[in-house]
Amino acid sequence: MFINRDGAVRSMESMLMAAIWFWIPLLLVPIGAWLNLSGRAKKSGLFLSLVCFVLVLISSWTVPSSDSTAAGHLLLSILAPSLLMAYGIHGMVFGGNVPVGKLDSSARWSGFLAVVISLTIFCLMHWYTLTPLWRNDEVNPYWIVFWPTFLLFATSLCSASALALVGFGDDRLVEAIKLAGLSVLMAGIALSGMLFDGYLTTAEEFSDYIWLSAADILGTVVGVSLAIGAFAIVIWSYEKSLPPPMNSLPPTEDEIKHVVAIAKSHIGGEEE
Amino acid sequence: MREPNASWKLLTLAAILPVLVLVTINISIGDSSHPESFKRFGNALLTSYVLMGVVLLGNLFFYADSRHRPFAPLVGMLVAIGIGVLISWALVSNDDLLLEANSGLRSQMLSNIVHLLVSTAAMLLAALLAFGATFAMITGRERRVLFEEEE
Repeated sequence: MFINRDGAVRSMESMLMAAIWFWIPLLLVPIGAWLNLSGRAKKSGLFLSLVCFVLVLISSWTVPSSDSTAAGHLLLSILAPSLLMAYGIHGMVFGGNVPVGKLDSSARWSGFLAVVISLTIFCLMHWYTLTPLWRNDEVNPYWIVFWPTFLLFATSLCSASALALVGFGDDRLVEAIKLAGLSVLMAGIALSGMLFDGYLTTAEEFSDYIWLSAADILGTVVGVSLAIGAFAIVIWSYEKSLPPPMNSLPPTEDEIKHVVAIAKSHIGGEEE
Repeated sequence: MREPNASWKLLTLAAILPVLVLVTINISIGDSSHPESFKRFGNALLTSYVLMGVVLLGNLFFYADSRHRPFAPLVGMLVAIGIGVLISWALVSNDDLLLEANSGLRSQMLSNIVHLLVSTAAMLLAALLAFGATFAMITGRERRVLFEEEE
C-alpha cells in the first residue's frame, strides 16, 4: 500500500516536473510569438518565445524522466545544421540579382557550400557516429521520424517547385532542371536509407518509417486544410448573417463645394 | 502575357509523384505497408486539425478587432475544435483504432503533439530548403535586358 502510494506520488512529481519544464514552455512559445506578431507586447513576446524555446531544447536535462523531452533533444541536435542551412539559403538567394539587400556575389558560393555541408551533416547523423543519442546511448526515437519526413517532403516540394518554375515562368527550363536534380538527390538519399543500414538504425526500420512519414505528411496536410476550411466556413457564415451596410446619404452642397475647392487647389502647372 | 502551362492539379501531382515512386520502390524491394500507417495518418490528421484550429482561434482576435468583437465566430471555431477533440477522444479510446504503442488516451494525445512538433520541424526545414533553392535559382541567373532603352 505504502509502496503504491510512494509510486503514485513519484509519478505525480514527475508529471508536474514535465509540465513545468517542457509542456508549459512549449505552450508559451507560440503565445510569445503571437504577442510579438500582434504588436501588443513585441519585445516581451519575443523574449518569452526565445526563453521558452531554450527551455524546450534543454528539457532532456531538466526532466530526464519524461519521454516527451526526446523531441526537445532532437530539436537541439538538429539546430546547428538547420541554422547552417538557413544561412546558406540566405546567402544563395541574396547573393544573386535582388533589388534590395544584395550581398557580395561570393555569398552565393559560400551559401551553396553551407547547404551542402548541412546536408552532409544530416547524412552523417544517419550513417555515421553523429546520430543523436538519447538515454543509455540509444538513438533518439524521433530521429527516425524527422529524417524520412524531411527527405520525403523536400523531394515533393522540390519537384512541385521545378514544375511551377517551368510552368509559370518564361524561359526557366535550366533552373527547373536544377531543382528537379535537387529533388532526385533527396529521393536518392531516401532510397539509400532504404538500402543501406544507418549507424544505429537498420534499412528495414527506415523503410518502415518511409510509410509512416508518408502517412504523417498526408495526415498533417489534410488536417491543416480541414482546419482552414472550418475557419473559412465560420467566418463566411458569420459575414453572411450580417445585415447589408446602409447606403450613406448623398453629399450636401457645402461638402461638394469643399471637395471642388480641394480639387482646384491641386490642378494647375505648366502645359507640357 | 502568356497563359501558364501548369495548373494546381499538375503541381499536386508533381508533389505526390516522388513520394509514390519511393513508396513503390519500397514495396518492390520487399517491404509491405506498415501496419500502423493508418493509425499514424489518423492521429496526424486529428492532431494537426485541432492544433491548427487553436492557432486560427488566436487569429480570430485580430478579426474581432475589426468587427466590434463578435462572439459568434469564436463560438463557431470553438465548436469546430471541440468536434475534432471529441472525434480524437472517441477513436483513441475505442479499442485499437488509433492507439499506437502508448499506455492510454492521455499518453497517446501527448505523444501525438510531440510527434507533430517533430514532423512539423522536418516539414518546415524541407520547405526552407525547397523554396530557398527555388528563389536562389530565380535570383541566380543574369539580369535579362527586356528593352534596348534599358542599356
